[in-house]
Amino acid sequence: MNFELNEDQQAITESVDRLLAQHAGATRTIELNGHGMYDDALHQLLDESGFSTIASDLASEDGPAGLEAALIVEAVARAGGVVACAAQMLVAPAVQEAAITGPITLCTLDDLQKPVPLRFGAHAKTLLVLGIRDVHVIPLTHGDLKPVRSSFGYPMGRLAEADRFADLNAAGNCLGPNAALAMVNWWRLSLAVEAVGTMDAALTHTVAYLKQRRQFGRSIGSFQAIQHRLSLCAIGVEASRWLVREAAYHGAQTEAVAAAAAFTLETADQVFTETHQMSGAIGFTCEFDLHVWSMRLLALRQELGGVGGARRALVEARWGNKPS
Amino acid sequence: MEFDWSQEDIQHRRDVQAFLKEELPDNWEEMSQHGPGGDSQAQFSRHFCSRMAEQGWLTQHWPSDYGGRDCEPWRHSIVGEEMWSVGEPRGSQYMNVNWIGPAIMNYGSEQQKALHLPKISTGQVLWCQGFSEPEAGSDLVALRTRAEKIGNQYVINGSKIWTSYCNHADFIFLLVRTDPSSSRHRGISVLLVPMDTEGIEVREIPSVVGERYFHEVFFTDVTVPTDVLLGEANNGWNVVNYALQFERIGAARYARAAVTLDKLAELARERGMLEDPIVVDRLGEARALCEAARVLVYKVIDIRAKGRSPTADTQLARVLSTTCDNAIGRLALEIFGQESREYASFADTNFRMAMTAGIAVGATEVQLNLIASRFLELPKE
Repeated sequence: MNFELNEDQQAITESVDRLLAQHAGATRTIELNGHGMYDDALHQLLDESGFSTIASDLASEDGPAGLEAALIVEAVARAGGVVACAAQMLVAPAVQEAAITGPITLCTLDDLQKPVPLRFGAHAKTLLVLGIRDVHVIPLTHGDLKPVRSSFGYPMGRLAEADRFADLNAAGNCLGPNAALAMVNWWRLSLAVEAVGTMDAALTHTVAYLKQRRQFGRSIGSFQAIQHRLSLCAIGVEASRWLVREAAYHGAQTEAVAAAAAFTLETADQVFTETHQMSGAIGFTCEFDLHVWSMRLLALRQELGGVGGARRALVEARWGNKPS
Repeated sequence: MEFDWSQEDIQHRRDVQAFLKEELPDNWEEMSQHGPGGDSQAQFSRHFCSRMAEQGWLTQHWPSDYGGRDCEPWRHSIVGEEMWSVGEPRGSQYMNVNWIGPAIMNYGSEQQKALHLPKISTGQVLWCQGFSEPEAGSDLVALRTRAEKIGNQYVINGSKIWTSYCNHADFIFLLVRTDPSSSRHRGISVLLVPMDTEGIEVREIPSVVGERYFHEVFFTDVTVPTDVLLGEANNGWNVVNYALQFERIGAARYARAAVTLDKLAELARERGMLEDPIVVDRLGEARALCEAARVLVYKVIDIRAKGRSPTADTQLARVLSTTCDNAIGRLALEIFGQESREYASFADTNFRMAMTAGIAVGATEVQLNLIASRFLELPKE
């Protein structure tokens, strides 16, 4: 057991943080989100710097280097990056060895059939569809998914024609049950990883604001009623961080992932609610950066059955009973 | 960063589990239903801890000079998890090995070390802690129990309250005010007082938690030699802070909660309750909470294993660990429903053992205050 970054991990996180400090951040996110744009430049930089393929490049006989990739995804989420790096760095390498062209958007069969808005959908070049026992890797062409306006912090896109991929086998490669299990676990874990970075930033932003904002002649952050709730949020974020890192280290095994996601996605709701409540009306405005992270937390809670889905998966993995 | 147990640690856990299977009597469940302070468990702990000492496990994390084996704190944490998982057969002696012994090692005179450490490391002594008072609960520094130095003796007058384990204890780790003109954290000292000293009276406070759980301890002209003073006079606050720096997570409550939850889930399955999506949701929520508490406790153990000073991570882990224990205690009542109304039934016992979690060893609100100031660095009023 060792909760400290080793030298390689330290170098990776310092390097990605330097890159993000220069090429990402709330101001850039707000600008891109305002136009429903994807951050192609950041995506390219992450590719060129070798971060996008780190899970494969550092893979061992136990599988992809999930922890190192998770550390990068956590950092990108903290910086509010408008890139589909979680799917690229965590999900794709687990699903198949050969590289998958990004940006990648993820969905279930049900998502596809409804169809629902998908994160990064309108900009994706590959669609990964999670079936019951298979995964479909579908190359996308311009116009397959059209942009959808959304309040939830990511550029969204939805299938332009409901029956566009009616025959999934004809639309792309079909991978077997191992890929399906890998996809569900790494996708669920990637949601939790993104939520950790996003919660961290939302809480840090709120704490900084509450230290300087004064009401009733004193800093809001000095009131015990506020301090206790912020402390509870901090406990949730820290526990989420270590659960997620531990699950990534162990190769996203079903039970560990489900526990990490169940706890993290529940904490995400707490952090959303508390950071907005404590920030007051300014927290809802576009001039205040909180929304960059807070609204995303709600979007992350919606995929793969959210908290309820993670809890069901956890019960099934732990106690071997498939709920009806 | 890596999250693997070593092969030696994995084997050690197996060995401890096998030892427990061998050593715990058939009626252990009944014996342990009153918790570590119960009469039967207290008696059994003397035998059990001696057996643990024979294995070399009781104080294996202590330095070899004091009867230990210089093992890493991780090894001791495995013992803690396994002991709490079955209801803590070490009884109150978990406190001895976790913090009372280490405090004596750090602050004790050679005479005190020679008197106390061998007894602790061989599992032959029971201790209790005399901290809280009627007017000094969470605000511990308001304590009033006085020890007046007269010649080469201290004369103690006052009372302690909410004291666990004292009805069987041989010694009390007693916090007293030795400088009558002092206030708050100054002028406090720690005395290591034999419980059979004349003038000490123990009265049980009946409670819904269980038998022999809370007590008051009265000190009336209790006269002890000054060599029971631990460390320097009036430096007791530092002694206590040192002693308790890691004790906030000393009881592996998350481990006991996780085992309770496994039993609950098994029962739910037997009764077809896993068909109920609400039950499934609650079980999933509870299991995630156990895991979250565990990983935060592990982070603190990692800090300790590296020999670093304690951080506010201890408070984070403490709050989540007690939250977890409480939540699963209440969930047991929901799953068992009316069956839990019977005293000493499975749900009742687990609920009662968990219900004080957020109060004992520092209320949750105090821990949250510390997180606010030390971890989030929020301003004071």
